[in-house]
Amino acid sequence: MIVQELFRLQREAGYLRKQSLLDISAATGVPLYRWHEVASFFPHFRLAPPAATEVHVCHDMACRLRGACDLEKAAKQVAAKAGDNKVAVHGVSCLGRCDRAPAAMIDEHLHVGSTAKEFAKLIEAYAEGSPPKHDYDADQSRQNADGWSIDPYDKSNSSDSTLAPYDSIRRFAEQKVLSAKDVISALETAGLLGMGGAGGRAYKKWDDVLRAEGDQKYVVCNADESEPGTFKDRELLLRTPWIVLEGMILGGLVTGADRGYVYIRHEYHEQIEAVQAAIDAARRIGACGSSLFGTSFRFELEVFVSPGGYICGEQTALIEAMQDHRGEPRNRPPQLQTNGLWNQPTLLSNVETFAWVPAIMARENGKWFAAAGRPGMQGRRFFSISGDVAKPGAYEVPNGITLGELIDDYAGGMRDGLKFKAVAPSGPSGGFLPAKLPTTALRRDFSSTLKTKADFFDLRDWTLDIATSRAMGLMLGAGIVVYAEGTDMVDQAWACSRFYRNESCGKCVPCRIGSQKLTEILGNILERNFDPKQLDSTKQLVDELGGVMAITSICGLGQVASAPIRTLLEYFQDDIVRHLKSS
Amino acid sequence: MKNESKKSVAAVLTAGPLAAEVLFDPLNIEEEGLFSRDIDGQLVRLVDSTASDYATDIHLKIDGRAVTVKKAVPTRDSQGNIVNDAEGHTVPRSTTIYDAASEVFVEKPGDVNPIPILCHREHMQPAAVCRVCVVEVFRTVDGKRRGAGSLVPACHHQVEEGMEVQTIESANDPESGTRVRAAVKVLTELLVADHLSESALATAADSEFVPNELTALAKRLDIKESRFARTKKVPIVDRSSLRILVDHSACILCERCMRGCSEIRENYVIGRAGKGYDSRIAFDLDTPMGESSCVSCGECMISCPTDALTFKGDRQSQQKFEPGESATTAEELLRLPMFAGIPFKFLQWNATSIVRQRLKKGEVLCEEGEYGRDAFLLVSGEFDVGTNSIAGRESKQASGWLWKWFGKQSNKFVASTSKPGGKSPHMYSGRQSIRLTSDAVIIGEMTCMSHYPRSATVTAATDAEVLRINRNVLYMLQRNEVAREILENVYRQRALDNQLDSISMLQSLSSDQRSECVAMLRECVEFARVDPGQVIFRQGEKANDFYMVRLGFVKVTQARGTQERVLNYLGPGSHFGEIGLVSSLTTELQSYSDGMDGRRTASCTALDDVELVRIRGEHFRELWKRFPNIQPAFLAHAKTLLERDREEQAKATTSLPEFLDQGLFNAQKLLVLDLEACTRCDECTKACSDTHDGVTRLIREGLRFDKWLVAGSCRSCLDPYCLVGCPVDAIHREGSLEIRIEDHCIGCGLCAQNCPYGNINMHGFVVDMINSDMADSEAGGGKRAVVQQKATTCDLCRDIVKSNQDPSCVYACPHNAAFRMSGEELLSRVQQG
Repeated sequence: MIVQELFRLQREAGYLRKQSLLDISAATGVPLYRWHEVASFFPHFRLAPPAATEVHVCHDMACRLRGACDLEKAAKQVAAKAGDNKVAVHGVSCLGRCDRAPAAMIDEHLHVGSTAKEFAKLIEAYAEGSPPKHDYDADQSRQNADGWSIDPYDKSNSSDSTLAPYDSIRRFAEQKVLSAKDVISALETAGLLGMGGAGGRAYKKWDDVLRAEGDQKYVVCNADESEPGTFKDRELLLRTPWIVLEGMILGGLVTGADRGYVYIRHEYHEQIEAVQAAIDAARRIGACGSSLFGTSFRFELEVFVSPGGYICGEQTALIEAMQDHRGEPRNRPPQLQTNGLWNQPTLLSNVETFAWVPAIMARENGKWFAAAGRPGMQGRRFFSISGDVAKPGAYEVPNGITLGELIDDYAGGMRDGLKFKAVAPSGPSGGFLPAKLPTTALRRDFSSTLKTKADFFDLRDWTLDIATSRAMGLMLGAGIVVYAEGTDMVDQAWACSRFYRNESCGKCVPCRIGSQKLTEILGNILERNFDPKQLDSTKQLVDELGGVMAITSICGLGQVASAPIRTLLEYFQDDIVRHLKSS
Repeated sequence: MKNESKKSVAAVLTAGPLAAEVLFDPLNIEEEGLFSRDIDGQLVRLVDSTASDYATDIHLKIDGRAVTVKKAVPTRDSQGNIVNDAEGHTVPRSTTIYDAASEVFVEKPGDVNPIPILCHREHMQPAAVCRVCVVEVFRTVDGKRRGAGSLVPACHHQVEEGMEVQTIESANDPESGTRVRAAVKVLTELLVADHLSESALATAADSEFVPNELTALAKRLDIKESRFARTKKVPIVDRSSLRILVDHSACILCERCMRGCSEIRENYVIGRAGKGYDSRIAFDLDTPMGESSCVSCGECMISCPTDALTFKGDRQSQQKFEPGESATTAEELLRLPMFAGIPFKFLQWNATSIVRQRLKKGEVLCEEGEYGRDAFLLVSGEFDVGTNSIAGRESKQASGWLWKWFGKQSNKFVASTSKPGGKSPHMYSGRQSIRLTSDAVIIGEMTCMSHYPRSATVTAATDAEVLRINRNVLYMLQRNEVAREILENVYRQRALDNQLDSISMLQSLSSDQRSECVAMLRECVEFARVDPGQVIFRQGEKANDFYMVRLGFVKVTQARGTQERVLNYLGPGSHFGEIGLVSSLTTELQSYSDGMDGRRTASCTALDDVELVRIRGEHFRELWKRFPNIQPAFLAHAKTLLERDREEQAKATTSLPEFLDQGLFNAQKLLVLDLEACTRCDECTKACSDTHDGVTRLIREGLRFDKWLVAGSCRSCLDPYCLVGCPVDAIHREGSLEIRIEDHCIGCGLCAQNCPYGNINMHGFVVDMINSDMADSEAGGGKRAVVQQKATTCDLCRDIVKSNQDPSCVYACPHNAAFRMSGEELLSRVQQG
């Protein structure tokens, strides 16, 4: 209620007027502090009047590589020239358009790929009251979607063209030829993993929610994709929302949940519309609503627009936000499968995890998916790849391809024939790994299995599989950012560290203060206010602090927030020395 | 140990390139907690604890020491009292690792729990945000010991069967102990860098007493200076509140103030504002504290572990003392075992409420029969406690009419205390006078808590010293586990002595038997607290326990057909529940019981805050068997009550229950207007207003009984609910009947809320004219009025008239229509027509 009311009040007045908060508190009996703690937490809400033109420029990772700082500078010059409260410029983290960097929003309209000069012109046009044409995610051709096999109903890409969307729902609810047990065993056969990052086994989660006791159960789709470098869900939601919904509805049928929410970040306007349209369409044909295909099964679906913040992608923080609290993660256990939304059993998964379910169910009950990976690997998956590659984008690939294949065969190789220097294998969460990784950095039990004993491991040979990566001791996410020779890793690491500092919810001490201290240390290096002789002692302190953050923070954000600085100090000391010497 | 652990951290850290990962490996962190699943692999749903968890043993090891604790403990409120739900049952909550460690390692005052805490307090819902209580847990499955990789907060994580816990003090697993200690140290250094000045850290090193809990933790961990750079944040200090200074730079965002404000006091003012590193506490919509809806109850400040919320001003310097009295300081009090663990700032805030009093031999500490507000902590010397006069008992029995009206047998059974010369149910009894040493810890606590007059006179038998404390301090002592235990033992002893005296059926015991009986019961009686309106047991239920009333009133009702009839009201010193028990032990009551042997014949409901002594059925039966000479008396008593019930049934019902529902049984000085004589001239209101600086304290409106109007004015209740909970102890009854609200009232409105009859009103008073630039507020220059809300209520005009004279309202009535009378008198007038 609070979040929705705040959205409404802000829509009405452009910001949250003090008087409206006083009024609504008096009318509802909800204490003032509750309104303020929610309103002041989420970046979407404004407690002061906005400027006439509001500019948001992404300044991290791929956008930073492609001149975001120049854009920000140019925008600030325009703002200074325009005068008081005409134009306000905010640097933000990841708008989810890393493939069309640099990305920015002017008055919540998307503008991608501009030069600083073009960008200044755009802002001026807005400020003069004649907004120019803006960009859409839908502008992009379907080139990235070619070769996708995730949608079993796609006539152009696959051979299952006889089927119609929501086939598994019909089979479950209407024809009753599919049982909860069948679905769970198909997911187990398929070997589907959670695609939100943790990589848990999907069938187990479904089974946990099925077995959990609760009067009411929920299905929640985490579409709050906000990690820098990650934008695959954006494409799935826009191009094939029905398979996401089908996965959710089937999840509801299997686990006994009859309500589902798609929690989408507020910057994904087109995706919100696409999902809403897909829900309406599903309702029309009886695939969701109070009676599924005329049966007594029911499943209600709703879009929940996130009031913002990377932290809400953390599953328990997302649930807290849905419950009108600050998006602060919960202490676990208990897990969401048993104590989720409103303390009820909740099946919460990433967009892609739900999206794979229809294909798994449509094709040999999981056997097709299980066999779709490279030899020894199961399934297919999506990667968002951006940075210094020729064709950044969201690609569906067989599980088990190498990083080299992803770069060369999918992303068109390195941009302008540049040399591959480093990779961020999980947005900023895994830090930065050099193209030639010292074998000492790999787990000993893994490096001992390498055929050739070498001092360095060529990262192009890295098999992009979660289990393999874990065995190597490396973190693998869904958003991969590639850096070419010439990149200043100090600058990148500082921006990523700042990202965690900015996005920390502030609930627990290690993350709240730790992320600040790490950013300050990197800031000193960035500002060249640092003596290279301190490198060893700094590294030791940073490793200790980062380690403590990893084992004491409540959620994953604090656990990985030290990765950028730790990997910088571990692998890129040359960059640091070079940076300190440069002017 | 400290040096060793330092060495081993360094040793492990320098062992290889990413060596810190040996200590802290993010990739080793399990997505699920170690105890997320049961042994069958089923994910465990967290459900509210149930009463059966009280009986479930959990075996775990803490730092290698085997420990057995119950799976749940009863939830306690901020006073340390066990909380009851509407059915009168305690509310179980899961036992946490921290609870378990307290149970094992804290046995006496001064013992230290190996697990440090900052954001946690026993009476609060754990927030687990500061993380300094982290411990490492291990679980052995199929003979394989597994760790979770990450640490868990002990304040929040519940105990689990077979859990192995390593704290920062762990010696049996040095690697784990080192890891936990290193983690807690880094966390503390982070807090120190941002929230503690260098000077605070330096001074703490040499001082024995460190009130700031963060400083104390830094000292405990031997942190001289943080290895992290100090914060560059500009300190923000909010001086807008008259009472409390807010220094945001010292705030560690532990949320204790927030929970104190909303969970304990239910004021709902403080929240977290902003996000991440810029988070801070905020009042309402982030307004300055002094301009917010804060009522200055002080709970946030007392809850605050650091110097973020501190007491402003100095109430103590204006304090006046009687001869023999002197002030105490928070520092000296904290050295007494009883006060160990009490928040320093609470003692500051309540500085005027703890007074040292030295008595010469023969001096009287308190007199039987007088109203009082203090309890006395005995520091040294010996005391004679005696019931010498009848006067005290008479005034205490002001509510005796109630049971006289109802119970024809009241003199015999319900309240043996109403017999002149009988034994006092209240304090020390049985003997004319007894001698106490300071081992007795405390005296006078019943008056302090219940507001009844003193039941005994206490005289110094030697030169002696006591600390006079008021109710707020007594409550705070109960919040502290160690002090609570000391006090409960004292209460247990006394309550038993007193209560057993009030049971006439036990009079047949010889004095030896009596001691044997007391000794037996001392071990097994329980204390129960029941909230107003709560049913203690219901008619028809199986009879389990026998009860004695320590404090408050219990309503006894019986349903016949569709009618519910009030049979009796039981006050302090009375007992109930015996019929159902006796009828299960003998066949002699069968003629009364309609085959309902062993069942409750009536329902018992708490009328206000009631404290009970409970004797469990099994112990009652043992008593019955062991002391057969009590059986005839119990039987006779039960028969009499049952016979009375029969007689009652034959009679028509009265309107009395309604009359009682309005709380009139509790009233001692109702302002009653005879509407036949009253011309509505309003002279009474004017007189009241003239007497009290133009603010009237009576409202000529209210309940009507026949021609009588009960006007809105303080009733001087026998058990005044308004006295409960005043955060600054500004409302009392002392010496005589009237309720007084003292000038240091902060206008929080709690007493006005507590008065069920709306007889306390809030008014704004100009307390001062100040120069704005000298004031705490940041407003512009010039003089301005400081308006302070204060509570007002009828004081029976005690400042201008003697206790036997009429107050202004009655005196001023030109038509002889205004009277002050008790509920009993009003009832008899109504009944006379």
